[in-house]
Amino acid sequence: MDLLFIVNSGDFKLGIVIAAVGIGIVFLALTILTVIFNQIPKLFKIQLRSKLRKAGKINDQEECCTDISGETNAVIALALHLYMSELHDMESNVMTIEKVSRRYSPWNSKIYGLRNLNYK
Amino acid sequence: MKRALTVFGIIAFLGLISWAVPNQNLGDFGGNAQNGIKNFLHFSGFANASLKHLLMIVVGLIFLYLAIRHSFEPLLLVPIGMGILIGNIPFLLNSGMEIGIYEKGSVLNYLYFGVTAGIYPPLIFLGLGAMTDFSYLISNPKTMLLGAAAQLGIFVTLLAAIYLGFTLPEAAAIGIIGGADGPTAIYTASRLANGVKMWNGVQSANLIGPIAIAAYSYMALVPVIQPPIMRLLTTKKERRIRMKSPRQVSRIEKILFPIIGLLLTCFISPSALPLLGMLFFGNLLRESGVTRRLADTAKTSLIDIVTILIGLTVGASTQADVFLTSKSLMIFALGAISFMVATAGGVSFAKLMNLFLKPENQVNPLIGSAGVSAVPAAARVSQVEGLRADPTNHLLMHAMGPNVAGVIGSAVAAGIMLSFLL
Repeated sequence: MDLLFIVNSGDFKLGIVIAAVGIGIVFLALTILTVIFNQIPKLFKIQLRSKLRKAGKINDQEECCTDISGETNAVIALALHLYMSELHDMESNVMTIEKVSRRYSPWNSKIYGLRNLNYK
Repeated sequence: MKRALTVFGIIAFLGLISWAVPNQNLGDFGGNAQNGIKNFLHFSGFANASLKHLLMIVVGLIFLYLAIRHSFEPLLLVPIGMGILIGNIPFLLNSGMEIGIYEKGSVLNYLYFGVTAGIYPPLIFLGLGAMTDFSYLISNPKTMLLGAAAQLGIFVTLLAAIYLGFTLPEAAAIGIIGGADGPTAIYTASRLANGVKMWNGVQSANLIGPIAIAAYSYMALVPVIQPPIMRLLTTKKERRIRMKSPRQVSRIEKILFPIIGLLLTCFISPSALPLLGMLFFGNLLRESGVTRRLADTAKTSLIDIVTILIGLTVGASTQADVFLTSKSLMIFALGAISFMVATAGGVSFAKLMNLFLKPENQVNPLIGSAGVSAVPAAARVSQVEGLRADPTNHLLMHAMGPNVAGVIGSAVAAGIMLSFLL
């Protein structure tokens, strides 16, 4: 009875409308974006191909292998990282000796380490 | 420590005297001192503390514990946890001290204005846009649909909340918890469940605090909530599906994405303009390549400042007398349902998509759960679950696609709710 009352209430009916329209519009918006961004690379590819064809750099049968596996990418990235981290843009050529700070403390004070104190 | 004990000892001693000795026996000076001490004690936190305050302080401490000890979203939970402590220090209400977050003229109230007026969420989105790399999404656009499917949680929760007796605007604000996007949840709550909004002659309750706390808590708990649902809805074979590595995305595509995304989504749902406008603006700052300084500021200093303010004030808004109600408990239950339905929606839709895709183009259903936003925690969960099924199958970059699409999807969903109900 209670459930029936709620389901028949105006708020619930409007809620169903909002839910149905809402999920529909979210899907619509993202589907349109999907379609657009599926087509954009094709457009660029066509444009690029026509430019290259005009310049005589490729022929129609030529296909470029762009599908590289994840493992290969990871190995290339690791190799680059190792190479780059070895590189130094500029060496300072300055030799330094690390300074050791010796703050005063009664525990390291020389005076407390003396057995025979000077006296006049 | 000794000094603190001495000070407390003196105060306790004076308090004891003022309680034990009657006023007329002390003369003018003694009487004034006694009144002063009584007054002081009357205003102190000890005199005004209630069980609710102590309970909320324990909640705040749990948040801090989870953030510091277990690193559960520390950037959010530390400000929120500390905010809960700040907001629940007991004091004498309406005494003119102007210290409470709900007292007009108090410093906290001024800072809280950024939440109630919906100023902070768009600024967070600006930083988020400057941080986000949409190239995974652009390289495999069909994963955008997973971001849409995971918004199912929002709309199912909307209906569940109406069923539980919330008004329609309140239910819509609660539903957005399923978007797993704190700023969007706060923005929608500040518009629809702000304690001022009227609907069919009924004033909405102020649910900004409970909604924000539920949204952020469940975002932190994504690694706990999602995996069982993901495993339940997928077979071992499906969890092992290997996806094609993403193609290289050109700079022009990256620049076009925020522009086309803004125009398209905001033409469809203009109410989401403050959120989506800032998101895509931040992303354009990043991708244009000519505004590096602005992008750096947006993704570091600006977002950090706003995160501090939003976290602290949202935490402080959980003042025990406003926060501890049966409605808050229901919101927490609905929030959990919302996350579960959203996760299930994303995973199931990925399986549905696979029915129509060629074997070499199939998507691993584990990335569907990343459609709930919660960037990047949900994508990390997909990666961890993927590795559990096949230690050589890395899903992180594939999961980032639906993950960022979820941010767009939840903002669009919020915009639709607002356009219906404002």
